[in-house]
Amino acid sequence: MNQKPGKGSAYGWLLQRITGIFLAFFLILHFQVLHFTARWKIDFDLVTQRLESTGWVIFYLIFVPAGFFHAFNGAWQVIHDYRPKSRTQKAVKSLLWILGIALSAYGYYLIVTFTKGA
Amino acid sequence: MYQSKSGFFKKYVDEVGLNPNVGTWSWFLHRITGVILVLYLFMHFFVLGSSLAGGETFNKWLSTVQNPVFHFLEIGLAAVVAFHLLNGLRITITDFFLATKAHKAIFWIAMIIFLILMIITLVVFLPRIFSPH
Ligand code: HEM
Repeated sequence: MNQKPGKGSAYGWLLQRITGIFLAFFLILHFQVLHFTARWKIDFDLVTQRLESTGWVIFYLIFVPAGFFHAFNGAWQVIHDYRPKSRTQKAVKSLLWILGIALSAYGYYLIVTFTKGA
Repeated sequence: MYQSKSGFFKKYVDEVGLNPNVGTWSWFLHRITGVILVLYLFMHFFVLGSSLAGGETFNKWLSTVQNPVFHFLEIGLAAVVAFHLLNGLRITITDFFLATKAHKAIFWIAMIIFLILMIITLVVFLPRIFSPH
């Protein structure tokens, strides 16, 4: 195994669970609002109207990075189980961090777009 | 968990074959659902990204993904999310409260909740598949 003992490896384990708990609440609310109580046809107005409230903006500001962290940290666990070489590990880890940060930034940009409306 | 070193997919077959218990099955399903959700997240953000071209483009994309076929697929998505969510909470509870001995019982409780959630989902989604809107 390429991991040095005691060097940061448990943070991924812990954060996967903490983000998981957050996502459990967020995703239930997300489904509730968009699939169970919303009118059948979701459209741009429905989204922009909801994002007029600060509460929903804050919701998404946390939801987006928590989701990407969980998704890519989870993907890392799957890849790590194939025991890649130390150098490959570093490259994959960096790539996943870049992807996660870039997509979170993209998500924030989309939140801004929706708050501005049409 | 012990990890077999054989091929890309075969290692999962080995894993379940070596230890065909609730813990292995749920681990396997948690992994599959997790990977599906990551792939779904990419598609989700792709569709959301169309909003950058304005409300009309966004609405066009949303109409494409809101028809009977997609509403049917959404039931599958709900199942994937519900399983991963409930089993994820089971893993977290088992780990944080050192409840390894109870993990099978917690799994079956999670599956009962899963069934209830899926019945609610079917009640809400089936009409969307069969009536035009
Ligand atoms: C809904 C609430 C969620 C909860 C409670 C949850 C919980 C968890 C937990 C506890 C793990 C760690 C499993 C382990 O270490 O054995 C995990 C793994 C994972 N999760 Fe989630 N998760 C949730 C949502 C999501 C979402 C939305 C995605 C994707 C976008 C996702 C993708 C993954 C992936 C890829 C893994 C790695 C699978 C593995 O290691 O086998 N999860 N999840």
